[in-house]
Amino acid sequence: MTPALLRLLLWREWRHHPWRHATALLAVALGVALAWSVHLINQSALAEFSAAVRAANGDADLSLRGAAVPEALFEQVAQDAAVTLASPVLEIDTLLKRPDGRRVAVRVIGLDLLRAAPLAPELLPRLRQGEDRLAGFDPDAAFANAAALAALGSAEPGPLELQSGPATVRLRHAGSVAAGGTPVLVMDLAGAQGHFGALGRLTRIDLRLAPGTDAAAWARRLALPEGVRVATPGADEQRVSNLSRAYRVNLTVLALVALFVGAFLVFSVVSLGVAQRAPALALLGVLGLSAAQRRGLVLAECAALGAAGGLLGLLAGTAMAAAALRWMAGDLGGGYFPGIAPRLQVGPLGVAVFGALGLVSALVGGWWPARQAEQLAPAQALKGLGTGLGAAPPAWPGLALVAAGALAALAPPVAGLPLAAYAAVALLLVGGVALIPATVHALLARWPRPQGALALLALQRARHQRATATAAVAGVVASLALSVAITVMVASFRDGVARWLDTVLPADLYARTAASSASADQAWLPPGYAASAAAVPGVLRVEPARVQPVVLDENRPAVVLVARPLGDPAAVLPLLAAPLPAPEGAVGVFVSEALVSLYGAAPGRPFVMPVAGTPRTLWVRGVWRDYARQFGTVVMDAADFRRLGGDDRVNDLALWLAPGAAAADVQQALREALRGTADPGLLEFASSAELRQLSLRIFDRSFAVTHYLQAVAITIGLVGIAASLSAQVLARRKEFGLLAHLGLVRGDIVRLVATEALAWVSAGVLMGLALGVAISLVLVFVVNPQSFHWTMDLVLPWARLAALALAVLAAGVATAALTARNAARAPAVRAVREDW
Amino acid sequence: MLSLHRLSKRFSGVPVFSEVSLQLQGGEFVALLGESGVGKSTLLNCIAGLEPADGGEVLLDGVALSTLPEAGRAALRRERLGFVFQAFHVLPHLTVAQNVELPLRLLGRQAAPAMAARVAALLDAVGLQGLGERLPAQLSGGQLQRVAIARAVVHAPRLILADEPTGNLDPATAARVLDVLREQVRGSGAACLLVTHSAAAAAAADRVLRLTPGGIEAAVA
Repeated sequence: MTPALLRLLLWREWRHHPWRHATALLAVALGVALAWSVHLINQSALAEFSAAVRAANGDADLSLRGAAVPEALFEQVAQDAAVTLASPVLEIDTLLKRPDGRRVAVRVIGLDLLRAAPLAPELLPRLRQGEDRLAGFDPDAAFANAAALAALGSAEPGPLELQSGPATVRLRHAGSVAAGGTPVLVMDLAGAQGHFGALGRLTRIDLRLAPGTDAAAWARRLALPEGVRVATPGADEQRVSNLSRAYRVNLTVLALVALFVGAFLVFSVVSLGVAQRAPALALLGVLGLSAAQRRGLVLAECAALGAAGGLLGLLAGTAMAAAALRWMAGDLGGGYFPGIAPRLQVGPLGVAVFGALGLVSALVGGWWPARQAEQLAPAQALKGLGTGLGAAPPAWPGLALVAAGALAALAPPVAGLPLAAYAAVALLLVGGVALIPATVHALLARWPRPQGALALLALQRARHQRATATAAVAGVVASLALSVAITVMVASFRDGVARWLDTVLPADLYARTAASSASADQAWLPPGYAASAAAVPGVLRVEPARVQPVVLDENRPAVVLVARPLGDPAAVLPLLAAPLPAPEGAVGVFVSEALVSLYGAAPGRPFVMPVAGTPRTLWVRGVWRDYARQFGTVVMDAADFRRLGGDDRVNDLALWLAPGAAAADVQQALREALRGTADPGLLEFASSAELRQLSLRIFDRSFAVTHYLQAVAITIGLVGIAASLSAQVLARRKEFGLLAHLGLVRGDIVRLVATEALAWVSAGVLMGLALGVAISLVLVFVVNPQSFHWTMDLVLPWARLAALALAVLAAGVATAALTARNAARAPAVRAVREDW
Repeated sequence: MLSLHRLSKRFSGVPVFSEVSLQLQGGEFVALLGESGVGKSTLLNCIAGLEPADGGEVLLDGVALSTLPEAGRAALRRERLGFVFQAFHVLPHLTVAQNVELPLRLLGRQAAPAMAARVAALLDAVGLQGLGERLPAQLSGGQLQRVAIARAVVHAPRLILADEPTGNLDPATAARVLDVLREQVRGSGAACLLVTHSAAAAAAADRVLRLTPGGIEAAVA
């Protein structure tokens, strides 16, 4: 087939039905735009975050890391013949006080500037005007990056007030550093050690090795002290990537859902276009167009739709991503990239892949109608007689796909991601749609023959045209199934979080020193403060907690160790099962689900982790749900923590108030009790109701984007119904014309079509609901645990699901009735005269 | 039974026909000839109440169509008219028997066994015995037109309007179909107005008329 012939055949068809094709094109464009924009936003944010990490870490061949790397080790490795440069670093995560009194997390990096210069140029100080050229070595001077200055709200801030335990450290702002990303302050190493109680302690030694040195072999030769490990340059970036990977992948998959539904719309529009053009295609067949060429013609039409939709989607997606990065700063609600303002980063590979996705989705959507065009019997089609009922469609392909989906749902994660579970969702969806004709056939075969003429017409048409109607219903099934699945998953998760909050927030009031566990080590309350707080009028009981980040795996974010009084663990922790007793002499702990899936911890078994810098064998007494920390939490009794060498510092307080006590008065008194030993502003208060509200607000914000994508899927599904039914009704003008001759009025025809649509959309809605619930099981019980390492109970929000189903049903029937009304306006005499 | 009184029709101000007057009695088989574009099919549509006339009146059993609302005209078509088209227009998703039965179902006056008996008898009469459960796709053009004829007479209409019913058929098949149509019309006592270009078809009629822009006149078949 020549391009000229293609253009002639397709262009006229597109001009004849511009809205129908524009809808399919827009659906593809929207799917590509969503997927592409989510990818761009994530990619840009991650690249920016990684660049910031690289800038802070410098260009070392190898690093020696640990919570307390002895300075003596630095002396040792610096003299090693294989080491050409060694740079000692102390990183302190603490809080910086803003002019309004609030505190923001900041990382203080203490450097030996002379040694750090070749390795980490972006951390080198740029002196403020008027500063002494040796200010970089001043132990009281600090240099802020752009994010820190932004947090302070001034390019020329006054003294910098930083938290060091309960005390406040004041530093002079002496200039800036180029490093991007989150707030960073660079200062002299000795000054940092002195101000933050880390004399003789480092957290990192960056090394550059002599050319030709095998870094791995050299590292193996080192006799490292306990708690110090070798880290490769990419480890931090990997950890940053891992932090948000599951969220990013889930978002991308969700965005691809829109593309998937878009493919269904292409399928609906093109297959009904083929049905409508059957006589024209048959005539072309008679004129010499081969079966393969007819298939090619339809596929060419799909390719044109896909290419145009892909291109439009790339443009729209780039614009959406640019807007999101500008207004949402790259944080798609997950909170993984705080404090950075990424620049849009568009790569040619991404453009090619996502552009191709549009093309592929359109071709996949058009494959079946293309096969229909190929298998057309020209003689019958020319007479407008179709091809008869034919054999019942086989159910086995659909059943096989559903069975394969069920098996895939049982598979373990791949590379830490629920890839098999995503495949299971896709298989279930495609299998469910593939089962539509067989299900409908089974239903209609048993349906008794109705007496009424309209009912008979509707039933016979449904029997005869079930393949065509499948095209209309497939979009409903796919979009509704996905929406139901997302609704059930979000409802289950939200319900789980709400119930979890009930258990983990038993007190009336909570006080904390740091919002992030990373800063907790530099923002604590004096050891005796819990007792002072208990004596405050209005306070019935106080429960202190110590929060400490612990790195168990260099490539993963830190686990959080919480030491707190554990009277009755089953009452204070949302345990998955009754707590097991710890063996005599063993220290019992409770681990969150992430520890089980990421580190292999198991109830009734030992688990090794460092406590106060020393590896300890602990006994896992039980597993609990922790929706607050995705990468794992270990809860230990405070007494055990102290016995194992842990300090008696306090980060958090849970306070039970006396009946009638005014929370504001208690807060004031608690702040006063701190005066003299620490800055009273160090304490942040929140009632359990406020924390609950805040947590659920964060939850809802995290899932805001899923609601948006869900709405898009439903919209595309509804547009699909509209396009499909409109095309069907248009294709039936001749039939309606005949019925008008036989004495039907316009209202009868509208009722006929609405009845048919009601039957079809009802079937689609029922199948969509069933399929959606099946997919939600995979999302709730497989995708979530494999992605985020926490489980939840299944909650089916029947009222919401019923409303969703009824809305789709009503929209489908209304669309059908409206299109039938328009079609019935066409004069009956003209309709019966038209050959096509 | 059918009376046309000075009927006229225009399309976009251009006269199609005018001053058409005609009387048809029950059992009468009348052929209507005319040049292409003279408005033969339009005249049938005006008689069926599917298109409004611009002047004059159509009376069916004394009822003036122009006085009826759309629903009334539809009811009249349902009850008193039968149609046969050049392109058959049988519904592809109904079986042969269901297609024939359709007008009876639309009227809804007969019980299922009575309808089935009537359809079976008619299918026998038009030579389609044993084909009731087939789908239209499995029939030839001549068979399809016989289905259409059976459907046109199944509810015993007062008037059958046939628009080029043999136009898509070969001469031999056309002759057989015309025989069937004439038999059924005569047997039912209905009047039939047959629009045709075919002299052979016109020859089978009791009366042959010719439609001209200026009116209707008797013609020699």
